Amino acid sequence: MRHDSDRETNTEMERPKMKSATKVDAIDRILAAEEELIPSSGFLAAAMERVRDKAAVPASIPFPWKRVAPGLVLAAGVIGWGAWVAAQFAWPALGEFAQSSPQIPVAAVPSLQEAGWVALAFAVSLGSWMLSWRIVRG
Amino acid sequence: MTLISTHARAEASDLVEVERVLAGDTEAFEGIVRRWQGPLVNMAWRYCRDRARAEEMAQEAFVRAWRGLAGWRRESSFSTWLFALAANVYRSELKRFPTVDVPLEEIAEPVSAAHQYEAVAEQRRCEVVRRAVLALPMRYREPVILYYFHEMDVGAAARTMELPEGTVKARLARGRELLRKRFPHLNEADAKATSTVLSTGREAPR
Repeated sequence: MRHDSDRETNTEMERPKMKSATKVDAIDRILAAEEELIPSSGFLAAAMERVRDKAAVPASIPFPWKRVAPGLVLAAGVIGWGAWVAAQFAWPALGEFAQSSPQIPVAAVPSLQEAGWVALAFAVSLGSWMLSWRIVRG
Repeated sequence: MTLISTHARAEASDLVEVERVLAGDTEAFEGIVRRWQGPLVNMAWRYCRDRARAEEMAQEAFVRAWRGLAGWRRESSFSTWLFALAANVYRSELKRFPTVDVPLEEIAEPVSAAHQYEAVAEQRRCEVVRRAVLALPMRYREPVILYYFHEMDVGAAARTMELPEGTVKARLARGRELLRKRFPHLNEADAKATSTVLSTGREAPR
């Protein structure tokens, strides 16, 4: 089978050319001499109809990265700041907790409470950011 | 008109029409569809052996080609790019909706028929062998399909599959071996026919 424009008048299909060093046998003869299928008369029109349909559909709107970028940067800043503050509060408290003292010292309680609030704020920020991201992405 | 000049003319037409389509003239794509509809439908036919489905798959390939025309980097000829794209489309279509797969072992070898039915029997024998290709595992099936579609040109089949020639050759050899094992008597019948032609100069009835 030739793959150029004059293929319909070409009869070379019946005489397969050997471009490899393999021996031609019955399998080759049968598989190479397959009759050519002529596309149905409406094929061209149907294919072009599908192409026109696709062409008529407006191009999808690209994601507005420029508009989203400041929000992303802000959100990342807030999250980073929250994490830093949380670490500042939580680290001494954790250190004290780790010093084989089974009881939480009275002095550490306010710090832990503050750290809890910071962690909560951090979680709410993260949740809100993920929700808005999901809404924007559809 | 020689084949080479016809081929060069087709390539030139492809280039002109691709440029026009890229410039926004959708109608210019009609020339491309007109020129390549035959090869793409025939290629799809070999993947599924269902005429309606082959045309459907070929149409999908044309739509994808139209969409991805800007992605053709002109490193290879337009036909090479188009065949590779079509092969991808056909492969994924058949993954989504496979052809009815009959295990190779369950395909009966064609037996000799009564003399008056030999032409019909020969046709049937060929069709059974062609359909048996669809029963090959996909990794061997595709090289076999594309090798014979490209007139037994391993290089062209490899370019369409976007695989190294060596890989295609190895898979092709395995695929043909599986078919030969499934139809051991085909070669005997063929050899008998060939020897009759050589000794009498006339084709032997099969």
